[in-house]
Amino acid sequence: MRPRGLSSLDKKLLRDVWRMRLHALAVALVLGCGLAVFVMAVGMRGSLERTRADYYAERRMADLAVSLVRAPDRLIGRLAATPGVAAVETRIAGLALLDLDQIEEPASARLVSLPARGRPAVNDLTLARGRWPDPAHVEEVIVSHAFATALELQPGDTLRAVLHGRRQTLRIVGLANAPEFIFVAAPGELFPQPERFGVIWMGREALARAYDLDGAFNEAVVRLARGAHSAAVIDALDEILEPYGSGGVYGRDRMVSDRFLSEELRQLATMAAFLPTFFLLVAAFLVNIAMGRVIATERSNIGLLKAFGYGDVAVGWHYAKSALMFAAIGALIGSLAGVALGRWMADVYQDYYHFPRLDFVASPFTFAAAWTAAFLAAGLGALVSVWRAVRLAPAAALQPPRPAAFQRIEGPLADFAARLDAKSRIIVRRIVRFPRRAGTTVLGVALAMALLVVARTFPAVMDRLLDVHFNVANRQDVTLSFIEAREAGALHDVARLPGVVYAEPFRADGVVLRHAGREVQEAVIGVPAGARLNRLIGQSGGAIEPPAAGVFLARALAERLAAAPGDDIEIEQTSGRRVRARARVAGVIDPMVGSSAYMELSALARLMREPGRVSGAHAMLDPAHHRAFNRRLKETPAIVGASFLTLAERSMRRSFEEGVGYMNLIYAAFAAVMAGGVAFSAARITLAEQERDLATLRVLGFTRLEASYVLMGELMALALAAAPIGCILGMWLAMWLMELFQTDMYSFPFIHNPPGYAFAVAFTLACVLAAAFVVRRGVDRLDMVAVLKARD
Amino acid sequence: MTARKTQARGWAMVRVGMSTLFSLRGLAKIYGEGEASVRALDGVDLDIVEGELMVLLGPSGSGKSTLLNILGGLDRASAGEVLFRGAPLTALDDRALTRFRREHVGFIFQFYNLIPSLTARENVELVAEIAADPLSAEEALDLVGLKARMDHFPAQLSGGEQQRVAVARALAKRPAVLLCDEPTGALDLQTGVRVLEALVEINQRYRSTTLIVTHNTDVARMGERVVRFRDGRIRSLEVNEKPAAPSELVW
Repeated sequence: MRPRGLSSLDKKLLRDVWRMRLHALAVALVLGCGLAVFVMAVGMRGSLERTRADYYAERRMADLAVSLVRAPDRLIGRLAATPGVAAVETRIAGLALLDLDQIEEPASARLVSLPARGRPAVNDLTLARGRWPDPAHVEEVIVSHAFATALELQPGDTLRAVLHGRRQTLRIVGLANAPEFIFVAAPGELFPQPERFGVIWMGREALARAYDLDGAFNEAVVRLARGAHSAAVIDALDEILEPYGSGGVYGRDRMVSDRFLSEELRQLATMAAFLPTFFLLVAAFLVNIAMGRVIATERSNIGLLKAFGYGDVAVGWHYAKSALMFAAIGALIGSLAGVALGRWMADVYQDYYHFPRLDFVASPFTFAAAWTAAFLAAGLGALVSVWRAVRLAPAAALQPPRPAAFQRIEGPLADFAARLDAKSRIIVRRIVRFPRRAGTTVLGVALAMALLVVARTFPAVMDRLLDVHFNVANRQDVTLSFIEAREAGALHDVARLPGVVYAEPFRADGVVLRHAGREVQEAVIGVPAGARLNRLIGQSGGAIEPPAAGVFLARALAERLAAAPGDDIEIEQTSGRRVRARARVAGVIDPMVGSSAYMELSALARLMREPGRVSGAHAMLDPAHHRAFNRRLKETPAIVGASFLTLAERSMRRSFEEGVGYMNLIYAAFAAVMAGGVAFSAARITLAEQERDLATLRVLGFTRLEASYVLMGELMALALAAAPIGCILGMWLAMWLMELFQTDMYSFPFIHNPPGYAFAVAFTLACVLAAAFVVRRGVDRLDMVAVLKARD
Repeated sequence: MTARKTQARGWAMVRVGMSTLFSLRGLAKIYGEGEASVRALDGVDLDIVEGELMVLLGPSGSGKSTLLNILGGLDRASAGEVLFRGAPLTALDDRALTRFRREHVGFIFQFYNLIPSLTARENVELVAEIAADPLSAEEALDLVGLKARMDHFPAQLSGGEQQRVAVARALAKRPAVLLCDEPTGALDLQTGVRVLEALVEINQRYRSTTLIVTHNTDVARMGERVVRFRDGRIRSLEVNEKPAAPSELVW
């Protein structure tokens, strides 16, 4: 059989697409941007999930964990024998201040014991460098890889640490990662500061001695058997551990590292759903205007094809295929760009999430979904035009279309139109005569503007969040945590530290809050009345006083508890004496960072039956005495944690800039592509439609500039009409996204960002103007004679 | 060389007191290059006198429309010279050609080329807005007998009416020359005659030079002079002592 080449119709198709290559490119680029985000977000999500699952399985990540005051080793047998428990590891854990030469401020670390013999049965480590500690040498430790990297620590280096008030020198023998510390942040911090907080694994014996826990443990991690019912196991373990000061057995949802990762995955899912949808819509819009033009110019060809005997379906399919070709090019661009973005993202993630290895691998399903979405969007965009081609009767198609009937403008616009010159009147009449076409252009431009508004709102929101958190809510320079709650007199000790200008006490109790059958583990923060440093944030974003009686709940917490002002909630301490009490909700407040419960300091201390005791202090420092302060701090055994706000702010800003910032830059670039694509398509179509009128104007003696005015005037008028719509749409989208991105760690305040609106409008108008200028050259090249000799 | 002779005879017809509007010498227009090139005009010499009504007659492809486009500043000659009132048109750049069209030329095409979004009156005003000493739109439309339908849009007018609006638009600027390319090509006899009557009346009233391109030998009977084209050359130039009135034409 003779091989069949391309059919004549397909050759025509290829030439048609080539002739429309700039349109095709605009569509493909917009589709490509959307699909790139899709492939990146879905692929990244899949990669993270897979990597996490593999890592958890390989290193036996705990399903359950519990902290206790002190439980005897003999309980291990009972724990292991509990039905549903596959493996259990008991250990000793604590916090320590470190005195490092590399940094002036004291760093701190979480200490975790390693079993006396063998490797941990649960939460095993992956050694990146060095070796395991020799049980015979109690000073040998392994430190977390990220911490070591940030401080340039090597195996063989030593660390000075204050363990439970005793100074010790530790020798690093290895660097490692662990599945429970994929994300590492100091207690109470939301962002990792790898040079300020790390994990240290050391021999059990040495830690037991430091913490007076010989023959006992204060933490247990458990792996569930396959098919075990987690809630039943938690109940059983809680019953065994209850008498030993257990804070309650909890699952992965309350393990900080896993929770952060899960939040990240959720945000990736949001991103995968939101942005691509937006771009697909705009791509459909671009296909719609391009195909509308194709069908209009191909009218007589459609008639011919049908007259030759091509069926309706064959004709429809012929035109649909060109739209699908646009889509295929877009999907190809999107797939390639998505993989490139994903790889870059994986690099960024590795700074935050410490996997032994994180590769971006998008699944075939991801690509299949992207291509399907591209074809659907293009098909949707082409639908109306293709349908028109299918419906066109051959005899009618061979006739030229009837000239568009225009009408006088009636109503309030009439006076306005009457005062215009003829050229401006052409613009106004065309817009009024073809409202749907004008409407789609306005909508397309408005969508591009809206995306830019969103892109410009994010940084403003971040700034506001950081501003409120660090300048209104937390004005202290440093927050010091005591080993245990101490008498108020401890505040004087803090105040006497060199360089402390002013100090203010606080209390923080880990608790379980219960209401309406719901249970949430959180912290209750005690804030003194009249606080000047650490203050509560009300609904307006301003500082407010703690309640005289009762408890304030952060909005996210109130929602999780389904509690409203006036409701009574139950509060149970998860450590210490495990006091159980009831308190009335006095109000709901809006902290932007964290979602705790808040009480007046002394009221909280009374509620916890420790009147007058505080957990730590916020302090304002004299910058001239930082060095002396830090030196003394490292020698103060009662202080177990020191959080420096400027450092926290710096790390938070860095993290926003690197994560959100880069991403935002990419979105802004994509929004620009969208604005450019829409503007260019609209301009090309307008030129094609006005070609004859513009040629007539030129023949009549109008200059190029005057003829261009009709083209550019129409585009600019539509773009200006799009401005308010784009701003309002962008505002709604930004509000909705802020809601979506809300977690129990942050609530993003929506704020108006007028410079952002101005930028979005100005940028889009500039794109339209630039596109109009590019297309305007078409006016210069108009072949007046050819255009005028042709029939309409 | 009959063409030369007849042309020389026409030359003699130039009336005293009438100056030359266009003077063409060795005018050539070649489209394309090499073997595929087409000589649309091939050495045309012609003088067009102020105020005359000249018909350019010939089959399609004979070069008559090309000549009209060059005279109107829509196209450029490949060789030769065109003088407009003694000034070389062929030397003008694009900007100057635009100004030339704006100030001196009125065009009428076979397919009217009205702006569909403007009414009859506004289509005429469009030109009046950029002309130095225009007729009012009302006057111009009155001249072509369309005063009553001034506020109609092109889609609401018949073909003949649309062409008369095009005539009104062309004459509103009081052009030095009216260039009409197959002005009746898309019209039936009756409506075509009305358009031609309008052209004749304008020519007589304002003495604006009128060039009509046509392939219709009947229409040619109304020209004061008739230039016959074939293969890019002038084959003959006839002087019509008694031009026919449009109402006498039949096609």
